[in-house]
Amino acid sequence: MIRATLAGLLAHRLRLLLTSLAIALGVGFIVGTFVLTDTLQAGLTHSIAASADKVDVAVLPPPGGGEKPALLSAGDLAAVRRAPGVAEAEGLVRGGAALLGKDGKAIGDVATTGVSVIGGRLNRTQVTSGAAPSAADQVVIDEDTARTRGFAIGDTARVLDATGAPHAFRVVGLFDVGVDQQLAYTGAVGFTAETARSMTGEKGFVEIDVAAAGVTPERLGGAVTAALAGRGARVLTGQELAQELAKSNGADINVLTVALLMFGLVAMLVAALVIYNTFTILVAQRTREMALLRCIGATRRQVFGSVLLESAVVGVLSSALGLLAGLGLGTAAFAALRAFGQNFPTTAEVTLTPRTTVLALAVGLVVTVGAALLPARTATRVAPVAALRVQTGEHTFRTGVLRVVFAAVFLLAGAGVTVAGVLAKPGETALYAVMGGGALSFLAVLILGPVIVRPLARFAGWLPAKLAGVPGRLALDNSHRNPGRSATTTVALTIGVTLMTLIAVITATTRATYTARLDEQFPIDYLIAPQFASMSEAGATLPRSLATTLRSRPELTSIVEIRSTDARVTAAGRSGAATGGTPQSGGGRRTAEVGAFSGPYQPVLTAGTTQGFTAGSALVAADLAGRLGTGQGGSITITTPEAGAVRLKVLGVFDPDTVPLPEITVPEQALDAYFGPLADVRLYVNAKDGVAADASRRAVEAAAQPYPTAKVRSAVEVRGQFDEALDLVLLIVGGLLGLAILISLLGIANTLSLSVYERTRESALLRALGLTRPQLRRMLSVEAMILGLIGAIVGVVLGIAYGYAAARTLMDEVLFRVPVGQVALFVVLSAAAGVLAAVLPARRAARTSIVGSLAAD
Amino acid sequence: MTITGEGAVRSRTAPAAVVATGVTKVYGRGDAAVHALRGVDVRFGTGAFTAIMGPSGSGKSTLMHCLAGLDSVTEGEVRIGDTDITRLGDKRLTLLRRERVGFIFQAFNLLPTLTAEQNIRLPLDIAGRQADQELFDMVIRTVGLGDRLKHRPSQLSGGQQQRVAVARALVGKPQVIFADEPTGNLDSRSGAEVLSFLRTSVRELGQTIVMVTHDPVAASYADRVVFLRDGLLVTELARPTPQNVLDTLLKLEG
Ligand SMILES: Nc1ncnc2c1ncn2[C@@H]1O[C@H](COP(=O)(O)OP(=O)(O)O)[C@@H](O)[C@H]1O
Ligand SMILES: [Mg+2]
Repeated sequence: MIRATLAGLLAHRLRLLLTSLAIALGVGFIVGTFVLTDTLQAGLTHSIAASADKVDVAVLPPPGGGEKPALLSAGDLAAVRRAPGVAEAEGLVRGGAALLGKDGKAIGDVATTGVSVIGGRLNRTQVTSGAAPSAADQVVIDEDTARTRGFAIGDTARVLDATGAPHAFRVVGLFDVGVDQQLAYTGAVGFTAETARSMTGEKGFVEIDVAAAGVTPERLGGAVTAALAGRGARVLTGQELAQELAKSNGADINVLTVALLMFGLVAMLVAALVIYNTFTILVAQRTREMALLRCIGATRRQVFGSVLLESAVVGVLSSALGLLAGLGLGTAAFAALRAFGQNFPTTAEVTLTPRTTVLALAVGLVVTVGAALLPARTATRVAPVAALRVQTGEHTFRTGVLRVVFAAVFLLAGAGVTVAGVLAKPGETALYAVMGGGALSFLAVLILGPVIVRPLARFAGWLPAKLAGVPGRLALDNSHRNPGRSATTTVALTIGVTLMTLIAVITATTRATYTARLDEQFPIDYLIAPQFASMSEAGATLPRSLATTLRSRPELTSIVEIRSTDARVTAAGRSGAATGGTPQSGGGRRTAEVGAFSGPYQPVLTAGTTQGFTAGSALVAADLAGRLGTGQGGSITITTPEAGAVRLKVLGVFDPDTVPLPEITVPEQALDAYFGPLADVRLYVNAKDGVAADASRRAVEAAAQPYPTAKVRSAVEVRGQFDEALDLVLLIVGGLLGLAILISLLGIANTLSLSVYERTRESALLRALGLTRPQLRRMLSVEAMILGLIGAIVGVVLGIAYGYAAARTLMDEVLFRVPVGQVALFVVLSAAAGVLAAVLPARRAARTSIVGSLAAD
Repeated sequence: MTITGEGAVRSRTAPAAVVATGVTKVYGRGDAAVHALRGVDVRFGTGAFTAIMGPSGSGKSTLMHCLAGLDSVTEGEVRIGDTDITRLGDKRLTLLRRERVGFIFQAFNLLPTLTAEQNIRLPLDIAGRQADQELFDMVIRTVGLGDRLKHRPSQLSGGQQQRVAVARALVGKPQVIFADEPTGNLDSRSGAEVLSFLRTSVRELGQTIVMVTHDPVAASYADRVVFLRDGLLVTELARPTPQNVLDTLLKLEG
């Protein structure tokens, strides 16, 4: 029995390979994911260990819950230095120090981070070229920033200090930020310890590194802990520090792993469908063979076993193939990431862990054998007498009542859950509801597949059949002559197309919604905002003189200044018209942004009026009003430095999503009275009618030039960046889903070649009756095209429906958009891909000799 | 319908529909070479019903395939009308089959996805030709399929399926119809029916038919029987009866 099975497998090597390829691709993707992330992890661990190796003990500030992380003081450093066994101890300084680009403007949205570079034994800064800074006027710049901003050793670099005053430095070296995510994000400049302190204005240290004088790190740690008793600082050995760093960085890699595995899962699901279909067809084709085996005494169990054995061989073969493919894929992905200038440790070697190997083999085997279980069971039902029947009849498919009932139940449940999700408040719960509804609906489609494939084929095949003449008509008939087979084949493609469409719809909808909001918010041409002073601070400002300069430019008009600061606020009284929500626990008292605007602007209110907007009154953001439990007509009290507690009447309420004002907006003069003169936090600028875009842009930039941290952004630019980000998402997701689609195409090719084999005599008859070779090929291409179209149509419908549902759960007030062009492209590509999948089967069919096929039994 | 001598007389005098000259067919090469045909010269008159007979393995099917342009000859010439089909490429050959040749096979004659009527019209559809409606109606009436036209092959009996195949071959009005054991899978009553239709079509429509068979009774429906042995045409019989066909066969085998 085993011998018979293996002989059968060898006889159909090509089919075996094609089938294996489906699983191999899925397994390869999963292996590739692990190879990539394991390699990243290994490289990370390696470089962290190399860096942390230099310290015996590290002291970290107490884990603070405040807005700004706590720091270690000079006193702490002195205490550490006094501890027994300490050879050396250095404090690390880190804070905003904005590097100015060659154009004189601060680079990036956030100021570059200034760090102290320590000399001697405790130096952990990897200077890759040049030297470490050794004098107050020297600086090192991280390699990435140097490359993108065009800095080289010997250049002069200007950096703003904490007060915003520029200082000139000589670039003496470039350094590698290693795995430090913050430095990689902001870019970094390194100074001597003293200069770092004066430039960043930081009084404390983010870390104190300690070197031991002949004692073990554990002993030293104990001594340092004792010296810092009661100060709340955390003391770690070098090893513990490395572990901690590895863990916090590893979290990112885990996210990447999980995200990639999701796509791997989709690919495996599609592969399982392909395998299931292939084995179902094989069993059907071999009915007589199986019956013969049963006639000569094979038991049901033996027949079952032979099918499973075949699937196991396929599973093992494909897992092995997948392992190889995955290794290649992971290596390629790693090389690509490195080529794109990601600062990965160059020491990393491609890692294939035993876990990956075992997992790959297990997944490949389990999915293949699992998918073959049902077909194997069908094989056991073949009656021995089937061997005696001359010809197995056409597959007549009857729609079972049970099938319809099941499908209806799933469909109703799916639709119900989805609608509930759509109607619920946007959020995670709603999204999960829609996802669950989607899964149920998909099951319904899966069950209903054989029933709907016939009408769908008629619909999708109408035009092709018209255009392709007799071959087209025959193809249309063939495309649904075995509805179960066609349904499974197309559903595999449907999965990919559904997800593609879903993403395309969500992207288009997000784009439309966001753009509309931008337009609605403030019909502005330019926004000027200060660069963030550092990662942890947001309180940067722009001097008022900038607004004055802008107002003097003839090209510009309607300049609006926004000023604000934080203040404590409490609800002073309950209103009659609260905008909803009960005050949360302690919600009556909080810190809020209090500010004013200056310039021609008429805010749109959701309640109340700006009539009588004078000292003693305020406009309040709807969400804050809700949290405070107040509303239009109510009162709030703010605590101010100049005027003490001030009671404000809530004159009106606005929607913070569309009105870009501070949460509590008071009249301009009132703000000065409460807080003294404040600087601007942002400026809105419009071009005068008829002024060309580049002329107004030049005017705004000229005005902002003297203020290095003033960042000019045009509405067009913001939209452009957003568009680019969305396009990138679409591209990446599309690329990752491409694999699932590729697998489903293999499925189409496989089904088709098995069908062609089954219809050998039919093809011969057609050829005898006068069908030319090209016509026969066309017939099969059109059949594959119809299958592709069916898959695409169902996918597009599901994708659009669930794209809408998902968008509703992600955003309020969505502007639903279907990217018609993209969706049409998916349909056309699916049809074309079907034709591509038919190339080989069609060539084989056309090549076989008529006489030989006619004689074939 | 009784057997008259008319057809037999006409077959000798009428121009040839198919002529084979020195046809040889060798399968494989070297030691494994099988000489299926060793130089066959034969002509089939227009409007005649000819049977090809011979022991099993004598080359009947091979000869028919070569005559019909389904298989290539190793040597020799085959003419259908005035076309030498041994010189045609696959494309021209296909077009020739489509336009000028009809087929009836022993089994698997019909496309299972098409109805009886669609099957009958299939060669015309492939050729992009319109059926001669009068002829179509007449053929359908003759083969008695009027109420079965919308049925699929799986809903028809073996005899009915074979009658559909006959109708399909007839409605295209081909220059020649080749039939390979058309009654091989049928019981004697259905077989007799199919053979009568074939003979009627020769008598009344002037159709040319070449039929391969190993059944003396089937052969007796023809106007003339040619006998093959070991790839060679050995003898022929005009006005065959089951008895004299059987006698000739026994002589050949003996
Ligand atoms: N494709 C083939 N390859 C090799 N030999 C063949 C092939 N087809 C037929 N033959 C051989 O050619 C001879 C004639 O076959 P065939 O024409 O089928 O005989 P018949 O139809 O009279 O029974 C036989 O010996 C057969 O074995
Ligand atoms: Mg034969």
